[in-house]
Amino acid sequence: MGAAFDTIAFKGSLCDGCGDCMTACSSAKKGASRLSIVPGASEKVFELAICRQCGDPKCAMVCPSGALAKDGGSGVIGWDADKCIDCLLCTAGCAYGGIAVDPGISRVAKCDMCDGDPACVKSCPTGALEYRKAGSIYNEYGGKEDLFVPGLSGCLGCNSELIMRHTMRKIGRNSVLATPPGCIPGMGSVGYNGKTGTKVPVFHPLLTNTASMLAGIRRHYDRIGRKDIVVMALAGDGGTADCGFHAVSGAAERGDKILYICVDNEGYMNTGMQRSGTTPYGSWTSTTPVGEHMKGKTQDAKNLPMIMAAHKCRYVATASTGYMEDLYEKLDRAVEASFEGFAYLHIYSPCPTGWRVPSSKVIEACRMSVESNFVTLWEYTPKTGIRFTRSPDNALPVSAYVKMIGKYRHLSQDQLDHIQAKVDEQVALLKVMAADSPPPPAAHRPPAGSSTPAGGETSQTSLRREISRN
Amino acid sequence: MSDVKESKSKGGKVIVCDGNEAAAWGACLSRPDMVAVYPITPQSSLVEYLAKFIAEGKMDAELMDVEGEHTVLSVLHGACLAGARTYSATSAQGLAFMFEPYFRTPGLRLPMVVSLVTRDAVSPTCVWGGQQDAMTVKEVGWIHMYCETQQEILDTIPIAYKVAEHPDVMLPVNVNHDGNYLSYGVARVELPEQELVDSFLGEKQVNWHACLDPERPMAVDPLTGGAGGAGPATFVRYRKGLCSGMQSALTVIEEAHADWGRRTGRFWSPLIEEYRMDDAEVALVTIGSMTGAAKDAVDEARLDGRKVGIVKIKTFRPFPIHRIAKALSRVKAVGVVDRAVNFGWNSGPVFQEVLAALYHLPVRIPAMSFIGGLAGADITVEHFARVVDRVNRLAAGEASSLPVWLNEND
Amino acid sequence: MPEAKYLLVGSSHAALEALRSIRHFDPDGSMAMLTRDVYRPYSPTILPYVVSGRSKPAAVMLRDEAFFEANNCAFVPEAVAQSLDAKARTVRLENGESWRYERLLIATGAAPAIPPVKGIDDVRFHVLRSLEDATGLRSAMGSSRHAVVLGAGLVGLHAAENMAEAGLKVSVVEMQGHVLPGYFDAKASERIEAAFTGHGVKLYLNHKVVAVEPRDGGHSCAVHLEDGKVLQADLLLVATGVRPVTDWLNGSGIAVDKGVLVDEAMRTNVEGVWAAGDVAQAVDFHTGQPALIGIIPTAVEQGRIAGQGMADDPYVKAYPGGIPVNTYRFFGRVALSIGQAAASGDVEVSEHDDGGYRRVVLSDNRLVGYASVDEPFDVGIMGELIRRKVDLTAVKDAFIARPVETGRRLMSEQWR
Repeated sequence: MGAAFDTIAFKGSLCDGCGDCMTACSSAKKGASRLSIVPGASEKVFELAICRQCGDPKCAMVCPSGALAKDGGSGVIGWDADKCIDCLLCTAGCAYGGIAVDPGISRVAKCDMCDGDPACVKSCPTGALEYRKAGSIYNEYGGKEDLFVPGLSGCLGCNSELIMRHTMRKIGRNSVLATPPGCIPGMGSVGYNGKTGTKVPVFHPLLTNTASMLAGIRRHYDRIGRKDIVVMALAGDGGTADCGFHAVSGAAERGDKILYICVDNEGYMNTGMQRSGTTPYGSWTSTTPVGEHMKGKTQDAKNLPMIMAAHKCRYVATASTGYMEDLYEKLDRAVEASFEGFAYLHIYSPCPTGWRVPSSKVIEACRMSVESNFVTLWEYTPKTGIRFTRSPDNALPVSAYVKMIGKYRHLSQDQLDHIQAKVDEQVALLKVMAADSPPPPAAHRPPAGSSTPAGGETSQTSLRREISRN
Repeated sequence: MSDVKESKSKGGKVIVCDGNEAAAWGACLSRPDMVAVYPITPQSSLVEYLAKFIAEGKMDAELMDVEGEHTVLSVLHGACLAGARTYSATSAQGLAFMFEPYFRTPGLRLPMVVSLVTRDAVSPTCVWGGQQDAMTVKEVGWIHMYCETQQEILDTIPIAYKVAEHPDVMLPVNVNHDGNYLSYGVARVELPEQELVDSFLGEKQVNWHACLDPERPMAVDPLTGGAGGAGPATFVRYRKGLCSGMQSALTVIEEAHADWGRRTGRFWSPLIEEYRMDDAEVALVTIGSMTGAAKDAVDEARLDGRKVGIVKIKTFRPFPIHRIAKALSRVKAVGVVDRAVNFGWNSGPVFQEVLAALYHLPVRIPAMSFIGGLAGADITVEHFARVVDRVNRLAAGEASSLPVWLNEND
Repeated sequence: MPEAKYLLVGSSHAALEALRSIRHFDPDGSMAMLTRDVYRPYSPTILPYVVSGRSKPAAVMLRDEAFFEANNCAFVPEAVAQSLDAKARTVRLENGESWRYERLLIATGAAPAIPPVKGIDDVRFHVLRSLEDATGLRSAMGSSRHAVVLGAGLVGLHAAENMAEAGLKVSVVEMQGHVLPGYFDAKASERIEAAFTGHGVKLYLNHKVVAVEPRDGGHSCAVHLEDGKVLQADLLLVATGVRPVTDWLNGSGIAVDKGVLVDEAMRTNVEGVWAAGDVAQAVDFHTGQPALIGIIPTAVEQGRIAGQGMADDPYVKAYPGGIPVNTYRFFGRVALSIGQAAASGDVEVSEHDDGGYRRVVLSDNRLVGYASVDEPFDVGIMGELIRRKVDLTAVKDAFIARPVETGRRLMSEQWR
């Protein structure tokens, strides 16, 4: 298993050219900024030059002095100031402008990722720069046992399969898994005809009683002193928000110590894409079709995680596979909380088949859903209340997300406006609820200037170094 | 009163209680690991007793106060799959709401015991006794035993665990008692010693055929092959196995009752009870608490020289076909009294079952259906006198076999 | 007879990169690297810094023993190739040993080209191609006062700077009209020349050496220029260029022009034999004709392609042609060039001379060359613009005005 590395990621569409990142880099490194934001092709578009920490670093290959080398642990291309002879050949090797001359010292300078805590990312007020820890996640969990058989029959690009495999890899064998009717058992996780698809005890609850069965299992294991077993569900939105909701709500009210993960693909995708209570307004589904008299669903989705937060569960969080590090952190907290009370994790999961999204675009859809605030990432504990784990500020218009998704292809401007209004309304409500929360743990603190309470200051201050165009 | 051999009863404390409390004691003495409760008339006091026993430390069980009967049975499914012994009780609408997991329980072969405090099902709106609820679910695969007295309720619950957990059976059992008449009716009840019940039941075994334990991972209830898959053989094997477990239960139920009788001195009739059938020319078939009044009516008829007997059904599922056919083989007419309706046949459900059993006899015996005790109504000695009269007339060929609704004008 | 599936003759950038790309695809095939050097691999480019004392000889090695162990490659120093029998697939060494191979990489690099100057064989002179040359030159510097450098190429200028900084009187003789001919245009060169002159180095441009003769019992020499001038030198450095080391291939059937001729996959004309690096004469990006481009980036790229071919890696891509690159430091200043930076005539040239100097050469609105002095730019980005022949029509004004920023933007847009 090869090592994977964390990385600094740049989303140009979120960059407003404030230049804070470069200021922060200069200040952290006491020299020229090692990343460079430059004006893009049009107004309000910006581009970035930064070391990509290549897997195949040509800068190091052309270095005659052995001053550049990729660190096998961090993946950072390290520069050895003592060995470097200042020949600058590395600048010819790099096609990304990632290693350049610092005119102040007439030597090259390059990004070293600040030992895993990059100053530029911390200073970015819009979230355009992110430090992605997928590499660490991969290194930590890539070698762990996959608890599902290979060859589950999920659709090509199935996000739910990704969630299942990641989740169980992390949780491990000391667990009991419920997968109520839906895509998750439908692709074979519980197995067929007497054979299993999972290496942990797994079962089909009814669509309606997942949380209840788990409550019974947990209570008995607690009674006989086996308190370390993770008793959990990987359930769909139908069995959670619709016909199984009584069970979820009851278990949450009783504080039954289970981990309930709702994989929300916004409908009954396994049975042929019918609408559910979490299907968003305007969606085409097979029971909210598009024709002369109907243009998709006419009601808004219920916000299940907010409903669960209202149950004062031990832990509630939303997550997306577009943000795996966030998902993993929440999974950790949810597992921990599930030994103390009801833990609810709501993972939004685009369905390539039912949503009419190309398989290759599923993760992009995840990210766009979050970047447009169609999905918000937050967590709740009774002590802290709701707090954002990713800032909802500087969101893209929801149209940017909706246009990727085939089930919205028919939307009229009025419908689109309705969706945008509902998204705004939801975010405003969450902001009110999050207003008094203490700051989140440093590891996933949103960028400064975010999570502002409604009515708070959101505009950029004039102190920032605007990227000049001259 | 039943023909319990009271003289031989041994040990235990005597209390005076209603049927719901008797059921709670039966459950308490069987030491379930978990009881799940949700109140419904006329079961409510039963679960209150359970909660009270647990609160007072008389009973060591997890108490799951849940949000509805659907969850009552679902948490018990979970606990059962984790190896627990479980108990609950419900009634009518509660049973209806429970139906989805109820339907599933026998297929998973979960050996649990649930009391049905029988009641007529809505609508018309009604909160009174009747057996429409239990009779409606007779085809689901649970074992059904109907009790006649408060003592029998208490005694039948440990017996039911013995049957349910028997490896030849592995099926859930409903121990049924009539709402109102038994649930609220008070009687003298002997409580067996805990040690007696413990030794009767023995150590609880984890049901390894279906268990969710990380130490021994398995998939519980994976999809079986069907028309489009690996073929129906697996499904058929499971279904056939369930039927076979049900048939094995006929023997196990008799053995368990006998064992209980030897330990307590109370030898309850396990499948059917024959009352004054030796020389009977006509027979009544009864089920549940109505039998007491029926016996009084029969005694009076005997004083008049009419040779009438009773076959009381205790075990309705599995249906003791041959025992019933044999018991009725020499009579000239049979009257079956139901506390429920079989809507499609314009008669009572027990009547239909008895007719099917009679088909095993070489002769055709006239039989008719009586429907009484709906909406909690008493079926009095007076009502049974009318029943005896009608059955005698049927035997003489003087009456139609159309069903009689006993409380039509009450 | 020792044998290897992959036999790499040479140990500098091309051979090291070939090793890496072979191992990327074939972790197990037996491999050996032969070098005439006594040391583990180092780069000739480091040598001026050994001369200056900035790099310690012991610290210039690019790979350690553990590397060869980890890569399952036998490293054989002091193995001077003497001849190749391509039919028998053996390389014979000067020490009499022969190596059998399945696939051979010729990466023997280049050696100093000594000009046919009268009397050159009778005087003591230095060259700078090996670590011994560097340490020898460094030690000679300490006991010399007058140095003459023949050739104003990179090696000559680096050495001249080192010696001037060490206090020697230095003269540089160059046949061409400017220093670093080919890499820089006259204006750029003049900035460099002025720096040397300013540091007391005498530049004899457009001068030709006609003879050298020993003086002072061989401890010094006299350098006679064509115009009659005579320069006294107690240290003579010949830095008039290099030529590929191909003499050992005589009679092998390997086609050699100025260097070993290779195709776009770095294959020679003989099956099972590849060549890469300074020894190879591969296609030139600009002219499309075979040419010698003795620089590290080219060596690395050729080495990678050769290695991929040797390991049958199906993802090997054709060599796009060499582009000259020069990153040059002089007296702490920076001079950079890439592509046809000195071209004139049928091209569009934009010069900017204000503090720093830059020269951008376009052809058909596409970048073909870029040079600068005292104004660093992203050489790699400009190289990609040249290689990809990116049409700059839409951004031309911005590019001319702000080439670095615009280059980064184009990079970010096009090959993020």
